[in-house]
Amino acid sequence: MELFFRKSMIAVTGLFLCLFLIVHLSANCILLLPEEVARGLYNSYSTTLRENPLIKIVAYALYLSILLHVVYALLVSLRNKKAKPTKYAVNRSSENSTWASQNMGLLGAFILLFIVVHLANFWARIKLGMGDVVGTDALGNVDVYAVTSSLFHNIYYVIFYSFLMIPLGFHLHHGLKSAFKTLGFYHKAGLRLVAKIALIYAVIMSVGFGIIPLIVYFK
Amino acid sequence: MKVAFRIWRQDNPNEKGGFKEYQVDNLNADMSFLEALDHLNELLVLRNEKVVAFEYDCREGICGQCGVFINGRAHGPHDNVTTCQLHMRSFQDGETIVIEPWRAKSFPVIKDLIVDRSAFDRIIEQGGYISAKTGTAPEANAIPIGKEISDRAMDAAACIGCGACVATCKNSSAALFTSAKINHLNLLPQGQPEAYRRVIEMTAQMAKEGFGHCTFTGACEVECPEGISITNIAEMNARYFKAKIFS
Ligand code: HEM
Ligand code: FES
Repeated sequence: MELFFRKSMIAVTGLFLCLFLIVHLSANCILLLPEEVARGLYNSYSTTLRENPLIKIVAYALYLSILLHVVYALLVSLRNKKAKPTKYAVNRSSENSTWASQNMGLLGAFILLFIVVHLANFWARIKLGMGDVVGTDALGNVDVYAVTSSLFHNIYYVIFYSFLMIPLGFHLHHGLKSAFKTLGFYHKAGLRLVAKIALIYAVIMSVGFGIIPLIVYFK
Repeated sequence: MKVAFRIWRQDNPNEKGGFKEYQVDNLNADMSFLEALDHLNELLVLRNEKVVAFEYDCREGICGQCGVFINGRAHGPHDNVTTCQLHMRSFQDGETIVIEPWRAKSFPVIKDLIVDRSAFDRIIEQGGYISAKTGTAPEANAIPIGKEISDRAMDAAACIGCGACVATCKNSSAALFTSAKINHLNLLPQGQPEAYRRVIEMTAQMAKEGFGHCTFTGACEVECPEGISITNIAEMNARYFKAKIFS
């Protein structure tokens, strides 16, 4: 039945995206190393990924997850809007729930904006060959490091990338807690633990991703 | 004590409705909120105006009839309290108190502050009962039930169906109400024969009535007069998946 199916799809795809973010952030930490080490390491890592057929499958699962997550989030939000056609003249929702939990759609829209720009910056240039030609490094690997480094020496992109990690953090904090309940995990002590982990996870992700562009800029 | 009531007035379901403000003095801080509304209505009778329609029955926090939205909160400013258990001492002298009916597509306004909550009744009709033989009451200790299970079932059974969960939920989700009714029966031996059918059919009716999706904002468990835990909704989801697989 749609009431369960749609919400479960958001939860499953959301959790998959959460796993991906861990791997993605770990890899991006290479960018924090001194340039001599970072360039070679980052480019060879990126080449290994690109040439692995298994990663290709994971990549398609990732694109599909983002698409399904957004589509079902939209359907859920539309039904929810229809279910409350008249708003209250006075509503003190901050006294009974968090702001993030009340604004997941808005937070998601910021993330979507980020994803579109992010894919245009990297995926379109490296995989689709759009924009300036990307060179190779000393080892003959595609110089993804150079793409990253030049992007993060543009202050506007640094601000854009770092700022949008704030809504990401709020979305992840509520999303992670919510996903477990959506999927039927109802053990009380377990959920308290999930809430703690969700907070730690969200802080690490938003601070981690948010600080990398700043560090690269000032390096 | 003196306050201004800013109250939603609407003659019938089809009328547009709007707010009207009433100054009321000679109130006592120890009066209940509903007594203050009674006082307003007496004044309106004397002035030959239409009284404000609002619902109540027990006035002792057990029947679930009295819910209204007060100053932006379901059942007023306190957590886990019914409107009838709210007192004027919770407000400031001279304060303006905004009173609105529950807002949800599935709870249409009938008149002023009264909404039609029969959508809840139709959810109950789909399985909020057990099949039992009539006749003499069976021996109470014939079916032993563990303390942990009986506590969880009784906690869920405490739901008085006031509708505050739907009212406060930004999605007008009826998940807290429906899950409390399902879990209460599905936890107990008496609820087992219809266990799978109950969760499938009650949730199907909940969807048919037009309630929204639960997104776990948690507002419902804060406004619920009985403090029904939101984990009931997660438990309902688990029961739903189980029923889909095994039935
Ligand atoms: C990195 C990308 C993203 C991740 C990791 C992520 C993660 C999650 C998770 C784990 C949930 C919880 C599912 C549940 O409540 O059961 C969720 C819910 C949701 N997401 Fe995302 N999400 C991402 C991007 C987006 C985008 C781009 C949008 C929309 C444009 C979006 C909109 C929503 C909405 C509307 C919900 C449900 C709201 C709610 O439960 O209150 N998300 N997300
Ligand atoms: S009138 Fe019965 S609960 Fe308030």
